[in-house]
Amino acid sequence: MDAFLGGMATLGDPFILLMVVAGTLLGIVVGALPGISGSTTIALLLPFTIGLSPIAALAFMGSVYCAANFGGSITAIMVNAPGDPSASATAIEGYKLAQKGQAGVALGMSAVSSAIGGIVSVVVLIFAAPLLARAAYSFGPPEYFALAIFGLSMCAAIGGESRVKNLIAAAIGVLLATVGIDLTSGIDRFSFGITELSDGIDFVPVLIGLFAVSEMLEQATLRGVPATIIAYTSAKLPSWADFRKCNRSIWIGSGIGTFIGALPALGATTAALVGYAETRRWSKHKHEFGHGSLEGVAGPEAANNAAVGGSMVPTLALGVPGSATTAIILAGLMVQGVRPGPHLFTEQPTLLYAVFASMLAANLLYLVMGMGMAKIFARISLIPPTLLWPGVFVLSVIGAYGPNQAIGDVVVMLAAGVVGFLFRRHGFSPAPLIMGLVLGRMVEETLKQSMIIFDQSVAGFAGRPIALGLLLVTAIGLFGPALLRLVRRGVPA
Amino acid sequence: MHDRHQIPRGAGRRALLAGASLGLLAAPGILRAQERFPARTIEVVTHSGAGGGTDITARMMMVQAPAEFGVELTVVNRTAGSGTAALAYAASKPRDGHTILLITQTHLLTMLRNRLPTQLDDLVGIARATEDPQVLMVKAGSPLADPQAFIAASRGRSLKYGGTHVGSVDHVSIFAFARAASFTAPTLVPFRGGGDIIINLVGGNIDAALANPAEAEAQIRAGEVKPLMALSRQRLAALPDVPTAIELGIESVAATSRGFAVLKGTPEDRVARLEEGLLKAMNSAVFQNYLRTSGQAPDSVAGRQVWQRQLAAFNTEGREALTTLGLMR
Repeated sequence: MDAFLGGMATLGDPFILLMVVAGTLLGIVVGALPGISGSTTIALLLPFTIGLSPIAALAFMGSVYCAANFGGSITAIMVNAPGDPSASATAIEGYKLAQKGQAGVALGMSAVSSAIGGIVSVVVLIFAAPLLARAAYSFGPPEYFALAIFGLSMCAAIGGESRVKNLIAAAIGVLLATVGIDLTSGIDRFSFGITELSDGIDFVPVLIGLFAVSEMLEQATLRGVPATIIAYTSAKLPSWADFRKCNRSIWIGSGIGTFIGALPALGATTAALVGYAETRRWSKHKHEFGHGSLEGVAGPEAANNAAVGGSMVPTLALGVPGSATTAIILAGLMVQGVRPGPHLFTEQPTLLYAVFASMLAANLLYLVMGMGMAKIFARISLIPPTLLWPGVFVLSVIGAYGPNQAIGDVVVMLAAGVVGFLFRRHGFSPAPLIMGLVLGRMVEETLKQSMIIFDQSVAGFAGRPIALGLLLVTAIGLFGPALLRLVRRGVPA
Repeated sequence: MHDRHQIPRGAGRRALLAGASLGLLAAPGILRAQERFPARTIEVVTHSGAGGGTDITARMMMVQAPAEFGVELTVVNRTAGSGTAALAYAASKPRDGHTILLITQTHLLTMLRNRLPTQLDDLVGIARATEDPQVLMVKAGSPLADPQAFIAASRGRSLKYGGTHVGSVDHVSIFAFARAASFTAPTLVPFRGGGDIIINLVGGNIDAALANPAEAEAQIRAGEVKPLMALSRQRLAALPDVPTAIELGIESVAATSRGFAVLKGTPEDRVARLEEGLLKAMNSAVFQNYLRTSGQAPDSVAGRQVWQRQLAAFNTEGREALTTLGLMR
């Protein structure tokens, strides 16, 4: 308890507080810009943090990390260009809300649910990190396989109008996930001798293409159609009734995000997609999904920010990074002479609680900043499309090029933009494709790993209770409703 | 990033002027040098994405390097194709010493496997940056957690080793180790990264792993992972109680190494200048602290003779392993 209070007290140090404020502001900005993610920023600033004290350095990196995940939702909602990959699920419903003139409501809800998700996960981190970290050891390839199948099972339900079209889109995503060098055989697949493709199709350019570029093409077809002025209501913030409606989604998202984030192999993007699918599954307003559902913003935003705290669990308690960003934070920790592991919680509790305190502070800060700025950001809707969309396109190209500095990624983005445009024209949704791309690779790799571990015998799954349980839940989710109907029909009235 | 170039570039020019005027006073001979080197920003090309282990090594070197060279340095991340894109990028640049590669064994394997236009003979090593010895690790408390028991078990059946993808540096090291020890050919369970491998070792999904000490440090301290033998010439300072494989009669040495190189054709005096500057930059307090805290060997930093010899040795080992494993294309 002393350590806890000591950690909290470090926030009284004006310099630490300054680092948190600077980190939060920077995080929101880089998060909002497609192409610069929180992880890139932290990597670039790593040499700078060497000169700081360990607490100041961690407070800074932690704040950037927390705020960048929220920042991504701003561009996702306003211009359909997820600023951070984890905001892709937010774009699905968020941009629809913005088009309906409810940008302020969506942005405000994003800030609130992000902050709640973030705070829940940090609180879990404070009390249960060593315990939760043990769970990571029980998750091997068979368990990840079952989890990925569980996630994929929701594909037919999310996104477009028709289940068949959703499944087709998901299948395309899974197919794209097979491009590149196969992990278990080392063989190049579908890369046609193009170097850029042998590493697989990167998720970021596909995402930017499907969302932002296809929207630009869509807007281009609307030339000559008088723009409807919807922006007057845009600046309105969410009401108390809105929060009550989204309450359940926020808690579902926070729980899922914390858990998925704590698994070393999964990050905020998967957390947000699963959070979105589960929010829809448990929602009382399913019909709103796909047409701008506020719950569909709250769930994934809570999930991706909860994954931030979650991914700090294995990083701090096991020394194994839970995401790309925490991998860099881990390197930063080591340079500072901090050795992560279970002993960190007993040996350097003050440092640890100082990090937690600064993450809590960052979450509260971006909540305030986000709410304050929502009204300003919402005015992006007032920019005429002829100016706005070319600007978004420029950002998109930079965003696709940036992470790998590869022009091939820009080509992938343009191709994804055309696919996304055709998708819209024919009633497909990009959401299942994204899900297939993210989870498809995981399904394949973890299945192959499992088979090697089980000496190529499927019976090996029988000895894995967690994997079996997850597969069972999936089966119930898939076939339960149909079976129930059959049973009901069988019973004579 | 652009601002970061601009200001120091000006600063570099000022330093250049200052240096020139000093030279005028002190040693007129300097005036005869055709062109000052380095004259502009040096690009450090890596196959690692921003924040990857190799990228961080480059950035740590760059903390001190601008002062040594009098010009700014910048990292170019060309991630595609396990080094293919990085090599192609460097090959597209003039061989004037302003483009240096930060390479790992991965590049050598990529060059071998894909018969790239650039091969080891086209590279000139400048200096080694990091040397991270591999240690054989098993789950603590398992029947294999004793060197003799492990060796006996390995000669009876094929053990499962965690490693990165098929045909990777890990794969080659595991192969070479098992062959040196005359073990039954091991089975590789491929994972995406070192963290996954350690987790699966503790989780009991794999029998063994070759890992760098820092990767498993938390688990070793917590008594969950047992380091069995170090694949190094001498015992490691971090793990003084762990015998080397050589002590146990297995002639096998493996390490994850990173170092700088340029393409052949770069003038000899510039290679020497780069070696001198890089060695100075890497002997700075910041870089040495980075080596210490990330668990790298204290004698990581080495000149071009050591590094060039090591590259050649690994190239031979890699060629043999890939040929035997049937992974040469």
